[in-house]
Amino acid sequence: MIRFIHASDLHLGRRFANIPADETGVRGRLMEARHGAIGRIAQAARDHGAAHVLLAGDTFDTPTPSAGVVRQALAAMGEDQGVTWWLLPGNHDNLREAEVLWETLSREAPANVQSLTAAAPVAMGAAVLLPCPVAWRSSGEDATRAMPGMESAEGAVRIGLAHGGVTDFTDSGAHIPPDRDRTARLDYLALGDWHGRMAVGARVHYPGSPEQDRFRHNRRGGCLAVTVAGSGAVPDVAEVETGQFLWSEADLPLLPGQDAGAALAALLPQTGRRDVLVRLRATGRLGLAERSALMAAAARVAPDFALFDLRDGDLATAVEVADLDAIDRAGALRLAAEELQADGSKVATDALARLYAFVTEDAP
Amino acid sequence: MKLRAITLENVRRFTSAVRIEGLADGVNVLCEPNEHGKSTLFDALQAVFFKPHRSQDGDVKRLRPHAGGAPEVTVEVETSEGRFTIAKRWLSRPMATVHQGGRLVAQADAAEDWIARQVGGGDGGPSGLVWVRQGLTGLDGAGKKEQETGLAARRDLMSSVTGEVEAMTGGRRMDAALARCRGELGAYATGTGKPRANGPWAVALADVERLTAERETLARTAEDLHAALKGRMGLRRDLSELDTPEAAEARRKRVEVASAAFEVARRHAEAAEAAAQKVDTARAAVASAQARLDRAQADLDERRLADEAAKASAEAARVTAEAQKAAQGALEAAQGALVKAEAEQKDKAEVLRRVRVAQRAREGAERRAELVARIAQAEAARAAVEAAEAAAMVGPDAAMLRRLDELAARRDAARAMRDAAAAQVVVRYREGAGGRVLRDGAAVEDGVALPVTAAVTLDLEGIGRMELRPGAGAADHAPDAAERALAEALDKAEAASLDAAREAGARRVQAERDRAEAGALFKALAPEGIARLRELLAAIPEAMEDADLPDPESAEAAMRAAEVALDTARVRREMAAKAESDARSANAKAGAEAAAATGRLTRAEAALERTGGAEALEDLSNALTRAVTALTADEARQAETNRTAPDLAGAEAALKRAQSVAQAAQSDINRMNTELATLTERISRSSGEAVEERLAETVEKLAAAEAHLERIEHEVAVLQRLEAALESARGAARDRYFEPVARELAPLLHLLWPDAALTWGQDTLLPTSLARDGQDEAIDLLSGGTQEQIALLVRLAFARMLAADGRHAPVILDDALVFTDDDRIEVMFNALHRQAGDLQIIVLTCRQRAFRELGGQRLRLETVPA
Repeated sequence: MIRFIHASDLHLGRRFANIPADETGVRGRLMEARHGAIGRIAQAARDHGAAHVLLAGDTFDTPTPSAGVVRQALAAMGEDQGVTWWLLPGNHDNLREAEVLWETLSREAPANVQSLTAAAPVAMGAAVLLPCPVAWRSSGEDATRAMPGMESAEGAVRIGLAHGGVTDFTDSGAHIPPDRDRTARLDYLALGDWHGRMAVGARVHYPGSPEQDRFRHNRRGGCLAVTVAGSGAVPDVAEVETGQFLWSEADLPLLPGQDAGAALAALLPQTGRRDVLVRLRATGRLGLAERSALMAAAARVAPDFALFDLRDGDLATAVEVADLDAIDRAGALRLAAEELQADGSKVATDALARLYAFVTEDAP
Repeated sequence: MKLRAITLENVRRFTSAVRIEGLADGVNVLCEPNEHGKSTLFDALQAVFFKPHRSQDGDVKRLRPHAGGAPEVTVEVETSEGRFTIAKRWLSRPMATVHQGGRLVAQADAAEDWIARQVGGGDGGPSGLVWVRQGLTGLDGAGKKEQETGLAARRDLMSSVTGEVEAMTGGRRMDAALARCRGELGAYATGTGKPRANGPWAVALADVERLTAERETLARTAEDLHAALKGRMGLRRDLSELDTPEAAEARRKRVEVASAAFEVARRHAEAAEAAAQKVDTARAAVASAQARLDRAQADLDERRLADEAAKASAEAARVTAEAQKAAQGALEAAQGALVKAEAEQKDKAEVLRRVRVAQRAREGAERRAELVARIAQAEAARAAVEAAEAAAMVGPDAAMLRRLDELAARRDAARAMRDAAAAQVVVRYREGAGGRVLRDGAAVEDGVALPVTAAVTLDLEGIGRMELRPGAGAADHAPDAAERALAEALDKAEAASLDAAREAGARRVQAERDRAEAGALFKALAPEGIARLRELLAAIPEAMEDADLPDPESAEAAMRAAEVALDTARVRREMAAKAESDARSANAKAGAEAAAATGRLTRAEAALERTGGAEALEDLSNALTRAVTALTADEARQAETNRTAPDLAGAEAALKRAQSVAQAAQSDINRMNTELATLTERISRSSGEAVEERLAETVEKLAAAEAHLERIEHEVAVLQRLEAALESARGAARDRYFEPVARELAPLLHLLWPDAALTWGQDTLLPTSLARDGQDEAIDLLSGGTQEQIALLVRLAFARMLAADGRHAPVILDDALVFTDDDRIEVMFNALHRQAGDLQIIVLTCRQRAFRELGGQRLRLETVPA
């Protein structure tokens, strides 16, 4: 029997420059959370009695991470010598472009960190690890094509480790056959590249990123605690949440007359907002007053979150007579409002909303 | 509100109370020299209406006399609700009261409120708008506060006129929205729509530009790194193939084998070269013998051919000389024929010229005769004109005849009236009566009335004489006067009688007709005068007599025949000349060829003599046979040597290749080691700089910056769109509501400048330019006089609008026309009176002489008895 932790896509060194810098230092917190995932994975290994951690590629975000990122990651992995880390080159840290990185790891990594830079069987406790490193980013080849030919002792537990897409959902261009576990006689195929959790089959799994970095999967990141009782046995796979931040994305459909503020509030979590990044896509239509109220409500709750991004590009403005009356019942202001309404363009509609805000905010 | 009386006490120079009474509707004039208190009066009125009684500001303090005291002003006003007395005192024991008929209506703050209502509320109010201070000729006051106050008052005035202008133009809400829009836009952009320096827009643009450049730099660095990694991989692979001991030994062995093979080949090549030299020598001997034999044979052949050529060319020269002589003769004959044809053509041309001159002379004779007759007729017509003109000067003209007829008619009428009024004698004879009544010896007819206008004597046959005398009262002198007038007119017309005058007049008319007819005839005959006819006559040549000349047709035919003959002779002459030239050339050529053939024969004979002639041919043939035999033996030996020779070039090439491979391999190894070291250093440096990590960060930053810039540009577009919509809407509304002002002002402006019009500022609600005579002039560029005139007219227009709204504000002008000349001031006086109507206009001036003609109610400052 062997127990191990299957994780992938740590993308250490990602700086999150696409996230607006703010006074709470959200970028730094996101980077720190990624580094902290190493410790949480190690803790998961200890919690599940696993002596090995398989990292199925993209441990580093770029082929040339800064020295600090590399050294601190190695130091964190080296803190518990009872856990062995097996690092596989992925498409982001592939062998060709990250040659220096892998040389550095071979030279400077602590004893419990192993770099898998060759497609050759490696003994991993009672099992045999069959690694398939990514040679370069866009090889366009199946990274596991060598796996069926890898030999192992009779009765040994065969664990495949690879990085790439079973379907074409990555930019690697590689396609791993979904039945690779059978063609390579594997007891378990540990895959990386897909940032969300996915079970391809009973023996083929993607754990997803241990710390999410994008709006897509709507759940915190995690890893898998895997137990293989013996050769031919169906592995036991348990999900372990390791992510600190939740990247939450949702649509906010709206209609005139609706309490937009209430609809917004209903979509938002009530607790733990500091570690939640929110992106809402407002759709449908709202009146000027309702739109103004929605924006005001959004402005009120935004500081609660690590990131709050309300996108209203798809939200149409329904200008009612009452809205125009609120601007003015007659006269030049009314003329201007009607002219903007008749224009109908996005710019004119936003200008009308702005006029509404100016007039109503300044009203006694 | 209208002012009726004003009392000042303790106000500047007026330490004792002074009072103005009798302020009426229409124009009131207070005309006093300088330093008599007009401006003090103006300031005091302003203080009453616009300075709270508790105010201690500079304006109020300046009202206090040098000797101190509390300024106090009392104004009696009349409103729609009756007559009121407003009293105010400042600084010491301040107070404000309003009384009506001795009853206190309001005091203190209530009094201030009452006053504010009368002037339209706020600072300044409409009254502030229509009051003009001394020397204030511009339309927008001196200070910012004054400008703001004026603007508020004008807007308020517009509102009062339209009732809705505030709502229609958006008023203060519009101002606030526009100000906020411009404020927010101003943070991003300048007035011209460009990004404001250091503003969010400019910063976002700069960020995108900087990050784009940074991304490009990092991408190039990353590409360099990838290229270096790829290059290093290739170098390592190549080096691993080249830089091994086995590979080095193999390269050394190949050089050694190639060197030995090359040495063997080189020695064999030297032997082959010696054999080749012997063959070359034998070949040269054969060639020499052959050449000598060929030259001797050729000399013989040349001697024979030269002889044949000399004979043929001599015969040809003789034939061409004869041909040349014949052609010369033909040329001389053609030349003679040409000379003769030219002379014939010249004679015929002269005859033709003379024939044509004679023909023109004959044609001119008819024209001459016609002109001579015409000149004679024209001279006769001119004489007739002159005679008729003289006759037309005699006798009365038509006017004179009409005058004579008129005088004769008057005379006849006078006589008829006299006869009708006079006593009449009528004789009626009895039938059969023999006697008759005689007058001047003639019997008076029966029944005919004889008027008795003068003493008449009748002889009554058989009876006696009867004298009839008219009474003295019956005398009528009118016929005599008419007769005298007629006689005087006849004298003037130089006619003895009326009939004579009429005959003379008829003759004059006839003479005028004759003159016209003769004149028309003369015009027809000589429209350009007789002198011109004589010029035409002189231009026609005299006829010539030449009996020997042929008729024109014969002369023309002879001339054409001569020209044809001349052309033919010329052609023949040219052809003969060409034939003679060709023959001469052919003869010269044949002569030259004969000389050349002779020279050739001489040279061939000399050459043949040098080579020995036909006898030397056999010796030369034997020598050639010997040389050929020697060459054949040498070539056989050389062929044998070459057949057994190794490939020297191949051996040398193989050696060079083996050596170059060994050298290139070593050079490549050295180069690759150097490049490897360089690449490794570059890779190490780039990797250490975390270029990919920084590139990924920069790409994300750039995407975020571009998104940020897009949002800002949208924000700018939104604010610009909103500003444009607000300005457009306000402008349209204001245009609509400026119309009443313009309508009120138009007749006033036209008093000064017909067809003039003012353009109004959207923000200031004041005139910005004056359009007159097709030109637009900015107000502030106009003369001081024109500016003050416009200022006054605008205020008069505003005052009229106020009055139309039921709010009468007195127009107070304190020396408001200081730059206006005497002509214009008359027009301005007319404007004041035109607008006065039910307005009250109070003019304060020191220009006593100029304002004497203004008219209106005269005011005086009177001291109030203590």
